[in-house]
Amino acid sequence: MIRLVTTIVGGAALVIAANVSAQQPASEFDPAAVERGQQLLSTQCGFCHGANARGGSSGPDLTRSALVQTDEGGRQLGQFLRVGRPDRGMPAFDFTDAQMADLAVFLHSAIRANANRKAYRILDVLVGDGKAGEAYFNGEGRCATCHSPQRDLRGIGAKYDPPTLQNRMILPRGAVTAPNTQPEPAHLDHNAIKATVTVAGGESITGAIVRLTDFDVALYDAASGQTRTWLRNGDSPKVVVSDPLQAHVDHLAKWTDADMHNVTAYLAGLK
Amino acid sequence: MMLKTLAALLFAMAAAQTGSLLLDPATIAKPPVDSWPTYHGDYSGRRYSTLKQITTGNVKSLTLAWVYRLNTQRAAAIVGGEGADTAPPTAPPVVKSTPLMINGVLYFSAPDHVWAIDARTGRENWHFVWKTRGGDHIGNRGVGIYGNWLYFLTPDNYFVSLDARTGKERWHHEIASMKREYFSSNAPIIVGRNVIVGVGGDALDIPGYLESRDPENGEVVWRWNTTPRPGDPGATSWPDEYAMSSGGGMPWLPGTYDPDLNLYYIGTGNPQPVLTGQSRPGDNLYTCSIVALHPDTGKMAWYYQVTPHDTHDWDAAQTPVLIDGVINGQPRKLVAQASRNGYFILLDRTSGAHVLTSKMIESANWTKEINATGQPIGNRSKDASVPGTLVSPDTNGATNWPPPSFNPDTGLFYVGTQQAYSIMYLTDTDPRPQGWAAAERSVGRVASALKAIDYQTGKVRWSHPLALTAAGSAGGPMGLLSTAGGLLFGNDGGSHFVAYDAATGKALWHAGLGTNTTNGPQTFLLDGRQYVVVGAGDALYAFALQQ
Repeated sequence: MIRLVTTIVGGAALVIAANVSAQQPASEFDPAAVERGQQLLSTQCGFCHGANARGGSSGPDLTRSALVQTDEGGRQLGQFLRVGRPDRGMPAFDFTDAQMADLAVFLHSAIRANANRKAYRILDVLVGDGKAGEAYFNGEGRCATCHSPQRDLRGIGAKYDPPTLQNRMILPRGAVTAPNTQPEPAHLDHNAIKATVTVAGGESITGAIVRLTDFDVALYDAASGQTRTWLRNGDSPKVVVSDPLQAHVDHLAKWTDADMHNVTAYLAGLK
Repeated sequence: MMLKTLAALLFAMAAAQTGSLLLDPATIAKPPVDSWPTYHGDYSGRRYSTLKQITTGNVKSLTLAWVYRLNTQRAAAIVGGEGADTAPPTAPPVVKSTPLMINGVLYFSAPDHVWAIDARTGRENWHFVWKTRGGDHIGNRGVGIYGNWLYFLTPDNYFVSLDARTGKERWHHEIASMKREYFSSNAPIIVGRNVIVGVGGDALDIPGYLESRDPENGEVVWRWNTTPRPGDPGATSWPDEYAMSSGGGMPWLPGTYDPDLNLYYIGTGNPQPVLTGQSRPGDNLYTCSIVALHPDTGKMAWYYQVTPHDTHDWDAAQTPVLIDGVINGQPRKLVAQASRNGYFILLDRTSGAHVLTSKMIESANWTKEINATGQPIGNRSKDASVPGTLVSPDTNGATNWPPPSFNPDTGLFYVGTQQAYSIMYLTDTDPRPQGWAAAERSVGRVASALKAIDYQTGKVRWSHPLALTAAGSAGGPMGLLSTAGGLLFGNDGGSHFVAYDAATGKALWHAGLGTNTTNGPQTFLLDGRQYVVVGAGDALYAFALQQ
């Protein structure tokens, strides 16, 4: 709802870390207690509330329950369960304190997992038809104009996990970095958007764009490893932008999701 | 109207008891140019000032008057709050609030902080720190003032009142549960004796609501639920109680108000679960809607749903901007929204009747059709899927919370836009998915532009591209201010604060602030001098003409 990312997220750079942490239960919960609580829930509560506590044949969703969400370590939940709500068919339960604690740990860990979208695990990406993907690659997609499974894409399927492969197929911007590390600056990426600045007197400098505004231009000069900056005044100095990924950018509006899945399946097979 | 008269009477009585008051709420409807008494400067949400000391002709002489860097130290601050004495680690505060200016003092906020700053010098009068219990510290939009009382919300969901003269706390009330992942970032809006506040939070499937609170004791006057309950009108747009009573719709941004119609306009948030609709078939009223409420009762007068059955986090919380305009030769009372879903929507604000819909960004690829009432209808094949769906805009939207501007002189509605793509993966295939239920992987931002939209046609009159970096376009959504001096203040996505020619979009003046502006700029006259005040990162900057 609210999050407005103010930095540029190009390609897959910031994405790897999220994947690695997938399915890890939050460290605040004891895994053994979660397991015991889940067992208890499924045998004692699951018939009405569902084996995953999201509601069943006759009982409401427990993970969406305000009582459960605001419970503190099983205290309020325990008070409720000892009495139940007989008028609405909810019997009292005589759990031990230890059982009560386990049940609360399971429910709170399930709620945490629902809330923690950074840890959501991406499921099966490779559902496409690799043969159809190959045909698209060589035909309508015009991918073969620049790419070849024998050269630049050799072994690409072994290099990336499927979601990263799909993401980079759409726009291979940003270097893939190790989990929990800062991505390297975008101007060091070989697919960086570049500009050529031509100053009065005719000198031309080409480099990755660190920043281009109405008022200044800063390029990364790979030869010297330094950033060079010029103030701009209208058309002076002259600035010409070139994007090595322009074909990818132009193709964004052309992809169907089926074509995307098919080509991903094709590339994933290049191992 | 009777209630308004009563409110004025009560206010006069309070004034008689306490001596002179900083702000009579009746003046918010027509604020004098030497003040900025409410989030948008006035009730209209236009963020247009009649001041014209600074013009297209002399803006080149605009210069820095002062800088205030956010002081977050507790040592000399007035401290309140329910949390621990040692502050938990939170991101450095950023100025997202629009400062109010009354009697030469600026009042503004960041999560857990409120400051009163001398508007002439930028020196601190007082600083209030809230000891937090937690909550999402993503931002705070600002404070509201009624008489001598100042109001703000905290990330851990407290509604707090201070004495604006001293910064001393009067009281605080909890308005939502942090344990349910509610957090509060809204700026309170004062209408008569209603202090209107809305809650936020979308990590879990929880109900959204807007409240009026009493300015003296902070108690609830009315609450409007953003989704219906069984039997209510609108309930048939949800499959069951389970879905509607946890259906989200957070009203997380300040609304606007028409004193003549006595209607308060608010944009509501997206439905829950956020990125999938499998457990909530139907339109999911009143999420992603522009809603008109009676401010004295909280009863709904009309609604218009900008995105029926949203599945992409595109809330319609963006400012509903009030325009007194002309359509087909007829004078009309209108309300416009540049919406996060990529569309510009214009309505009649008396009835909610649709006037026009236009597409703001080219890349938007999620729509099947614009229906007979102008609503963009989603193509369900563009919902998140297990193997991934390529969608534009991304969840940040074509635009976002930063306030747009409407200039009645040019007839143009100004908005910062971005065109980004993401792949959205359904991760929760349960019949009852929860939370976001899907993962988003950013592809990139391929364009960003400041756009000027002709409100009568919905067509883009001019579009000014923003900054470029090695990774793509930068910037997009930005706080804007337009003035009778022919100027439009905003940023360029490249860390410059810029004065544009409001008619043409030409950049006339700029200041490199090292980071993009992060709030809505505002302006006022003080000692005969027009100031323009803007926040960028952890600092507030004031500009005025060279003397």
